[in-house]
Amino acid sequence: MANTDFRTCSLSGLKIHRSSELLIRWNLIAAFATLAVGGLMGLLVLLTRWPSVHLLPVEHYYRFLTAHGLDALLAWIIFFEIALVHFTSAVLLGTRSYVTWLGWVAFALMLIGGALINTIVVLGRADVMFTSYVPLKADPLYYLGVILFAVGALIGFIHFFINIVLSKRDGGFKRSLPLGSFGLAAASIIGILTLAHGAAIFLPTLLWSMDVIPTIDPSAYRLVFWGLGHSSQQINVCAMVAVWYMTSAFVVGGKPVNEKLSRTAFVLYILFINLASEHHLLVDPVLSSWHKVVNTSYMMHLAVLASMIHAFAIPASMEVALRKQGYTRGLFEWLKKAPWGNPAFSGVIISIVLFGFLGGITGVIFGTEQFAIIRHNTFAITGHFHGTVVAGTTIAFMAFTYLLIPFIFKRELIWKGFASIQPWLYGAGVATLSIGMMSAGSFGVPRRHYDITFSGAPFSFTFDPAIDMFMSMMGVGGVLAAAGGFLFILIAFGSIIFGKKMEQR
Amino acid sequence: MPKYDHREEMEAPGVFVLALIFLAVFIVIWFAHLKWLSNIWGIQ
Repeated sequence: MANTDFRTCSLSGLKIHRSSELLIRWNLIAAFATLAVGGLMGLLVLLTRWPSVHLLPVEHYYRFLTAHGLDALLAWIIFFEIALVHFTSAVLLGTRSYVTWLGWVAFALMLIGGALINTIVVLGRADVMFTSYVPLKADPLYYLGVILFAVGALIGFIHFFINIVLSKRDGGFKRSLPLGSFGLAAASIIGILTLAHGAAIFLPTLLWSMDVIPTIDPSAYRLVFWGLGHSSQQINVCAMVAVWYMTSAFVVGGKPVNEKLSRTAFVLYILFINLASEHHLLVDPVLSSWHKVVNTSYMMHLAVLASMIHAFAIPASMEVALRKQGYTRGLFEWLKKAPWGNPAFSGVIISIVLFGFLGGITGVIFGTEQFAIIRHNTFAITGHFHGTVVAGTTIAFMAFTYLLIPFIFKRELIWKGFASIQPWLYGAGVATLSIGMMSAGSFGVPRRHYDITFSGAPFSFTFDPAIDMFMSMMGVGGVLAAAGGFLFILIAFGSIIFGKKMEQR
Repeated sequence: MPKYDHREEMEAPGVFVLALIFLAVFIVIWFAHLKWLSNIWGIQ
């Protein structure tokens, strides 16, 4: 491959190959588009669950909830992660993407799969929600869409390992991978295991929906599905933490205080974090209590240990770097003088704090056997995963976008003032939404129900009046988050199309 | 092997103090939250 296909980014000094650049760009564009659709669906769902508004009719509520889950939780995040796969397995190593056609095959499969899922859901032929639990049955094309998307993503994660093996062969890196790439290696290992579960359960479900096989055991479906459903969130955790480290390095020059410890923490994720899925099976009669308690109350804490290591290592790397820049007065001059106006930096700090305090801590608590039984089907869980996947992963990915637009699209950000407040607006909104949901869930408000007044039900039930305040809190927070999300989409697409072109070597 | 100097300057003292502050705040919120939950669920 000719050397002229490489350019050097004037901001980061990264050597970027044209083939990797195009793959990253198109995966990012698909990610932003699916976030826009998923976010809009989320706003409509929010305005329906907010009892004072209760916007949508019942069938549209479940339809849009299905689309919200699939676009916001699966498509936006996995498209972004595949962009990260190419960024960390080629750009960060200063090499090219190998077997480029495979990257495009993965992208095409994900794109076709995603489009198919959205079309079938919007046509009202798959009101089965994100979990698609059998015996709820959707159109076979819906399951085909999920399979195509999962297989595309699976190829995308396999592509990571092809790139690094061939890069090592060609001398792209000498010893171990940079930490950002190491984090994505952990994410890709979990990704391959996760998406294999997805393919394993959706293939028989597709055959069942076509009446080729007569039945699917619902408990078997649930068992294998959560190997996809929850484990895919662990891909997000690894990718998000890798983004935290990379942002610290790019924005303030942060290096991990002890790199071996940080790498060990990623290995702990690979070994133990998937056990978090176990709490979906706590009422399953097949598994023994011993098995359940060991996984949810012991093994899971080894993954928590990994998160605690990262939670100290990343802010410490920022402090050490800023102190080296001369901000040494007192305990907190470095914090005061940190680049808070840079949305990449502020976004990552907001992501770390909100992920830790809203998503992480509640996940550990709700994942234990005793609490899971009480809370599992309440709104508290919805609050928990909006604390992890939205306040944590989505804000981290939004923050990293503010670096990728100049690095990869060679464009300056438009509306820099709005960009600097966007993570704060979105973060405040999601935090309020998440706390409102968790508080309402503590009063027993159900997780997905269209109408919590249960109008027309044979038995009447009224919740504690305090839930009105918490549901309103959720509503106000959600509207703020939607405003922050809309601003992000405008800035991302606006910068890609109208941003000032940057000089490159 | 050089003897470990306990007086050696900490690399990131700010993060250490921040962590202690967060821990203290979390403990207060945690117990307040437990008390609140006990009231909701009627646990004496």
